[in-house]
Amino acid sequence: MSENYKFDTLSLHAGHIPDKETGSRAVPIYQTTSYVFNSTEEAASLYNMEVGGHLYTRISNPTVAALEQRLAALEGGASALACSSGMAAMHLVVSAICSNGDHIVASSKMYGANINLLQHTMPRFGVKTDFVNPNDPDAIERAIKPNTKLVFGEVIGNPGLDIMDVPEIAKICNSKNIPLVLDATFNTPYLMQPFKHGANIIVHSLTKWLGGHGIAIGGAIVNGGNFDWGDKDKFPTISGRHFALGGISFWEEFGPSALIAKIRAEGMYNFGPSLSPTNAFHLMQGIETLPLRMKKHIENTHSILDFLVNHEMVEWVKHPDLETHPDHQVAKRILPKGSGSIVAFGIKGGREAGKAFIESVQLASHLANVGDAKTLLIHPGSTTHSHLSSEAMKEGGLTDDMIRLSVGLEDINDITKDFERGFKAVKKLNK
Amino acid sequence: MIISFKDADTYIGTGGKSLDNTKRTLCFLHGSGQNHLSFIQQARFFAYKGYSVIVPDMPAHGFSDGNPCKSIKENAEWINDLLVKLNLKDVVIIGHSQGCLVALELNRIFKSFLKSIIFVAGSNIIPVNQFLLDLSEENPQKASEMMVTWGHGIDGDMSINKWPGHSHYGEGNNIMCMNKPTALKYDLNSCNDYLDGINAAKKIKVPTLAVLAKNDQMTPLKSGLKFVELIKNCETHVLDCGHFLPSERPMELNSIINSFLLKLE
Ligand SMILES: Cc1ncc(COP(=O)(O)O)c(C=O)c1O
Repeated sequence: MSENYKFDTLSLHAGHIPDKETGSRAVPIYQTTSYVFNSTEEAASLYNMEVGGHLYTRISNPTVAALEQRLAALEGGASALACSSGMAAMHLVVSAICSNGDHIVASSKMYGANINLLQHTMPRFGVKTDFVNPNDPDAIERAIKPNTKLVFGEVIGNPGLDIMDVPEIAKICNSKNIPLVLDATFNTPYLMQPFKHGANIIVHSLTKWLGGHGIAIGGAIVNGGNFDWGDKDKFPTISGRHFALGGISFWEEFGPSALIAKIRAEGMYNFGPSLSPTNAFHLMQGIETLPLRMKKHIENTHSILDFLVNHEMVEWVKHPDLETHPDHQVAKRILPKGSGSIVAFGIKGGREAGKAFIESVQLASHLANVGDAKTLLIHPGSTTHSHLSSEAMKEGGLTDDMIRLSVGLEDINDITKDFERGFKAVKKLNK
Repeated sequence: MIISFKDADTYIGTGGKSLDNTKRTLCFLHGSGQNHLSFIQQARFFAYKGYSVIVPDMPAHGFSDGNPCKSIKENAEWINDLLVKLNLKDVVIIGHSQGCLVALELNRIFKSFLKSIIFVAGSNIIPVNQFLLDLSEENPQKASEMMVTWGHGIDGDMSINKWPGHSHYGEGNNIMCMNKPTALKYDLNSCNDYLDGINAAKKIKVPTLAVLAKNDQMTPLKSGLKFVELIKNCETHVLDCGHFLPSERPMELNSIINSFLLKLE
């Protein structure tokens, strides 16, 4: 019967039905590298991509597939592919679509590794990127060239929290027949589903909120199935002849799932960034409670924002749900449930104050991750960017007093009490 | 491959191998609002088994241009002319849903090249309710979404798929979106208006196979079982899934078709 299950139900069930033999309610962990073929014919048909199935875990695995199908259902995509990390997902997409001589338009305000890949690594392979302001759709349009093969950005930028006007940018990409690829790590499908706004491909770091417990690195690509790859001159890797599989054209034979088929046949086959079945299981456990966690993440974030905005030791607070944020109106329109649980704030007293704060809190963990169920903090001025002068940090859009906070699910009073401890240490220092 | 046929670019999937009209050819006929991608896991499978395979996108469907056919008879004539143009001598028709009605009419304009018919999720009638007929005119995308949801068994709802990582709903909706917006309404009206299936079924002389689905909400099993009774010696199988048998149960379907083909002369 067709039920059209809702998001909360899909988070728990999509991708798995208990099998008749064991009745295992949880998704089994198929910790295996390979699968016994029933016949040589069956083996050949899997190798030739005649039918679906598993032949080697670098290419696909039943536990990983359950995760992929859950993600496809939650995003409303045609198909998904999970891989070893968010960065692996990003590289798989870029390398599947672009070749020597191609061009990318990307947001200038993104996670460092996303920037580095496009700015430093891909040019060595002849793929150049122009970086533009993500909240300026006109600038994105102007940067598109005849050899532009994709537009890329983060829905909510890390760490600057700039919001992309996805529907406007999608309109531009659509009119120019260029796929819009979005890193949707910070929003997750719970806060916003990019395909509903016209995006074509989603990249996730599952390591963050989707997994949600800081225990497993993983990434995924979800393919909207809503992009026409038919222009063989522009997208030869998707609609032209593949070098193997009898010269298959992925677009002709897989239509909406062409990109994922291409990535499985080339990226997973030749680069091999596969996700371990056990990590897929851990990540799926996280997804089961995604709706509950995201609700609480947002609730706690809004409480923390109140606390910080009104605190005498806080110089400034940045979050798209605050009216003072330059992208507040866009955030309200495309992220009505809230724009994530990352908050940036400045402590009175600059770099030294930031350091003192971080060193004095005890509940919040000082580390380089976001999206854990636990509250996390980092002070770039004394860690990732400690080698840079205050002026150099400013040029990169950061200040030395800035703390990046990933709001967790603890009792809000315990978090604020912990922060008071930090502020007290700063006060002492400032005296 | 794309050929020019009746003044329109016409796409014919061949399962990744070239068409060889000296061999037995399996001709797959897609259902309402579908295109060659309904048979993703059949086209390559049978082409690599050594059959010559064609999966035409009917006019205005998939990658084919042209205007949609407006009746089952018109669809059958179009296919007949295509088979003649391709100079095929030995053809097995494999219809899914509306493709089964087209196969029934094609049998009527029977030519010696037609060797056998395989009905997948078929019947002699496919009545369509007025609500869906209206919706297919007013909002074909919404109508497609409803068909994709109704059409799949529990695997659709639960995002279970034999092809790792694929979603029946997400893929199904986008396959239907590839067609020209008017294609669906003509398809559904063609099905609804087709009332001569009983007589057409009784005329079949070639060997037949029917593979029906237990949880079919588009061509219910009851109707399918009545239909096969009309045909002399129709080998019949029932699989535990929804209407979209080719993607829901690809291996079982392929295996049944393969065994049947091996028994044919
Ligand atoms: C927005 C964003 N995208 C991608 C990544 C990379 O994810 P992973 O660590 O899973 O490779 C990160 C990691 O911090 C991120 O913040």
